[in-house]
Amino acid sequence: MMETGVIGLKDTLKHYFQGYLRIRLKGFSPERFLNLCMAKQIVIWDLKYQDDSYQFLISIRDYRRVKPLVRKAQVRLRILGRYGLPFFLYRNRKRKLYAAGIASFFLVLLVMSQFIWDITIEGNYQFTDDTLLHYLDTQDIRYGRPKIGIDCDQLEESIRSDYPEIIWVSARISGTRLMIKVKENEVMSNIPQKDSLPRDLVAEKSGTITRMIIRRGKSQIHIGDSVEEGTLLVRGAIPIYNDSEELVREQPVRADADIYAITAESYQEKVPFLTLKRTETGRKRHGFRLRLGGLSFLWMLPALGENPWEITSRSCQVTVLGDFYLPVWVDQILAKEYQTCEHFLTEEELNIEKDKIHQKKIENLSQKGVQILQNSVKICKEDSGWIIQGDFLLEERIGTGKEGEQITE
Amino acid sequence: MFERMKIAAADNLKLPKDVVLGEVLISFVGRTSVIVENYRGILIYDDQTVKLQARNCKLQFHGKRLHIEYYNHDEMKISGFIQSMEFGD
Repeated sequence: MMETGVIGLKDTLKHYFQGYLRIRLKGFSPERFLNLCMAKQIVIWDLKYQDDSYQFLISIRDYRRVKPLVRKAQVRLRILGRYGLPFFLYRNRKRKLYAAGIASFFLVLLVMSQFIWDITIEGNYQFTDDTLLHYLDTQDIRYGRPKIGIDCDQLEESIRSDYPEIIWVSARISGTRLMIKVKENEVMSNIPQKDSLPRDLVAEKSGTITRMIIRRGKSQIHIGDSVEEGTLLVRGAIPIYNDSEELVREQPVRADADIYAITAESYQEKVPFLTLKRTETGRKRHGFRLRLGGLSFLWMLPALGENPWEITSRSCQVTVLGDFYLPVWVDQILAKEYQTCEHFLTEEELNIEKDKIHQKKIENLSQKGVQILQNSVKICKEDSGWIIQGDFLLEERIGTGKEGEQITE
Repeated sequence: MFERMKIAAADNLKLPKDVVLGEVLISFVGRTSVIVENYRGILIYDDQTVKLQARNCKLQFHGKRLHIEYYNHDEMKISGFIQSMEFGD
């Protein structure tokens, strides 16, 4: 057992490796002995007064120096306990297998540290981890591969050359972990070809025109007009007149405009009267799974009863000193028993469901960049269930290109 | 005479007296531990009393379960339940 009570961790370790003693001090003038120790720079710590005597800790080296002081102060010392590495080794000097076990532990640790047991990839958005791990596999870099022979510079180069979208790569080995950081090109690598084929713009939806910006083509509508789906909005042809204002010909162009209109949109969602509700019974089971490479050991009590169990597990890889990953995973398993039962939706639950559906629709519309002018939602009852009905009044772009055959008047 | 001059110089130059004059420096951490610096020696020690000799005075700590965590020629740390401290000549 190791006793504490020293100034700091550094001293604790120093004393442990040097070995130290617990001493009982009795005699004529203990205070004089303590002062003499201080004067001779003999370190004493964890000094206690107990049962008309003093107890303290002292290192072996200092204990050898106190004998003259003992005579001078007329005190008696008695060793109560011996602690530290020298005494531990002395006590276990005959335990050969014990020493062999410790040595083999460090040997296994040393051998294991020569392999890659974890690969982390950071900064990848376009390419998934699986894609890059598969690529690394083709480069003969995988879990369990010896560290020796992995050329990080060459790996960086090969990733950059095989994935032109990756513009920067950093690969380094830290402990038993291979860390790869990449930076992808966020700008599109090739500029899309601009389409110059002539086209008209037609209405995608019915609505009332609120504003329009015509960049190319001839407008066929005015602000305030009501249009139906498919109505021609901008004609992809510019008429060319001669000096006497006669139409000579029409120059076909690619119509381009932003045309906004107020449109109406509605949706209906069905919610059944009955809903499945999951309730936990409160029974839980805890377990552990130890995975050593391909081997797996499970410690968990078997499930009793007929109810289903929801099982969740949290996995962590065993590490030593930060980046020293070992091929050992520990899964902490938690199983909760639950029952499912059908019940009628209450008014409150129905309202929550309604709000959830409606909010999701609003979010979808907002993501499209549509401006919502009005929105309403109501609940109707039908034979088959509840109907959530929502209506929106929107302002949105309605022009869509109609390519190929041009619409002409 | 020389002592008075040192005190006056320390006062006027606003120098720390524990450094210049070797005065005792006492730091309490709540009432469970105290660190005493610039002391000279231990006069009495048991689990209820610790009496120390400083340069110009004596210090006496009273309490329960007092024990000396460590001590050297610079400082000493006493822990336990400290009830009082008094100065003596």
